[in-house]
Amino acid sequence: MITLDYVLRTYHLTKRYKDKVVVHDLNMNIKAGDIYGFLGQNGAGKTTTLRMLMGLIRPSSGEIELFGTGLNGNKNKALERIGAIIEYPGFYLNLSAVDNLGIHRRLMGMGNKECMDEVLTTVGLHDAKHQKVKNYSLGMKQRLGIARALLHRPELLILDEPTNGLDPGGIKEIRQLFLDLAKQRGITIIISSHLLNEIEQVANRVGIIHQGKLLEEIDHETLQKRTRHYLEIKVTDEQRAAYVLEQKLGVTDYFVTEPGILRLYEHLDQSTKINLTLTNNGIGVKEIALSGDNLEDYFLKITGGE
Amino acid sequence: MFRVFHAEIMKLRKTKIYWLVLLGVLPACLVSSMALLPKISSDGTPIDLDMQEMFYHQGMVLSVFGPALFALITGYVVAREYQERTINQLFSYPTSRTIFLIAKLLVVLSLIVITVALPFVFAIGSTLLIRHTLDIPVLWLGMKMNIMICVLSFGAIPTAAALSMVGKSIMPNAVLGVIVSLFAGISEAKHSMSSILFPWLTPYWPVRDLAQDIAQSGPNPYVIPALTILILTFIISLIFCIVYYNRADVHSGT
Repeated sequence: MITLDYVLRTYHLTKRYKDKVVVHDLNMNIKAGDIYGFLGQNGAGKTTTLRMLMGLIRPSSGEIELFGTGLNGNKNKALERIGAIIEYPGFYLNLSAVDNLGIHRRLMGMGNKECMDEVLTTVGLHDAKHQKVKNYSLGMKQRLGIARALLHRPELLILDEPTNGLDPGGIKEIRQLFLDLAKQRGITIIISSHLLNEIEQVANRVGIIHQGKLLEEIDHETLQKRTRHYLEIKVTDEQRAAYVLEQKLGVTDYFVTEPGILRLYEHLDQSTKINLTLTNNGIGVKEIALSGDNLEDYFLKITGGE
Repeated sequence: MFRVFHAEIMKLRKTKIYWLVLLGVLPACLVSSMALLPKISSDGTPIDLDMQEMFYHQGMVLSVFGPALFALITGYVVAREYQERTINQLFSYPTSRTIFLIAKLLVVLSLIVITVALPFVFAIGSTLLIRHTLDIPVLWLGMKMNIMICVLSFGAIPTAAALSMVGKSIMPNAVLGVIVSLFAGISEAKHSMSSILFPWLTPYWPVRDLAQDIAQSGPNPYVIPALTILILTFIISLIFCIVYYNRADVHSGT
């Protein structure tokens, strides 16, 4: 099986605790250079999956393939090429950022110390590098976690909810950092999150997990197509309104969502014309509004709205 | 292995663990310094400074407080990874979990050696200061006793490590330490020979051998069974630690 295009693949990955299946038959496919958004509600199985990828917990069944080889027997070689934050960026609180990175540098067998300054500058912590980590805010710890994950120049970054605790400005900066890392260094990034807009803005591929099952893996373009905008029109007679729009404006891409409501996926910039056409044909128009299935709607749709 | 050991030492910078070491060192120095006080025999002649008495007192303190201190030190070194939620990161390094365990146990051994060595150095230094000469055979006896305290104390360390791994906290070790030290205090006050059968009290064996003027003297008949128990305790608990460290799923780190 030739799988070198893929940095990470899982085959029927399953984790079971007694009778409870936490991750069920997961087949993940992540290509080199992807920013892969791993999207799911809290408790969906994201962190458990990431823990299995890092070898922190053992799968009940299934296989993990990292960099073209199975994880069993090659775990340490694979881990050399991965940077990660799993769930919470843990640090030795009595030590400074530099000391913590120094421990990481030593454990990764890295020689030069200059790289520490470089990553601390990248995440905006250079000025606080000698402060003890116990005095850091959660946002600063997240940044330091990202710095540590980047320190040994990994090929794959696995980041579990990396923007937890960051302020909006920080989220924007970190998002840009991920985009730059993928573009400039070709790093493959997996970002798990329950925040739909966060994933929407950064990921080029999205995997949606719900109740332990990977429901869908789609690329950004496909997702955009599926999360189209539309005009929602509330009318007195939806059947006649549909007929009039078809006949007078040539509208074909629409559907009736419920009695009295039409959803139109074309002529989005012609709401005045639609209003006039319907009114002139004796159909009362109560409301016309531009709306759209965003990722949230789409997510709720495919997860059954739970 | 050395880089992991060095990293483990780096983690202890700016921690309170050195206060724990001092908690063992200071009483041992204080009690052994009682031998420095001037003494007069029943016939009124001054008694010379007795180095063997110094080493004995020092050994007594270490064998009573040592088990509690060393259990706490082990608990801190092992359990802090869970309590500070660094265990995820630790096990994400491309290094065998067994290597991490061995490095941690070696750190504990180093701290035991420091705790035992400092009072020994104090005893030598103060003797030199007062007498300007050393009794080499007694010095050798003291050194032998201290080396044996280190080795025998280390025998019970994997059990303490196992407790803190399973409990993911220093608390089980604190409880163990208090119980063991109480038991050690009572047993050693009675100079019981059989007390060394209890693995945490085996270090009392070389200490008792230095005692003078106690009721039962001579070779301790319980040495072989005591060493057998200690070695078995060491091996079984070490295997448990290795298996547990390697097989345990790492969850939230708490």
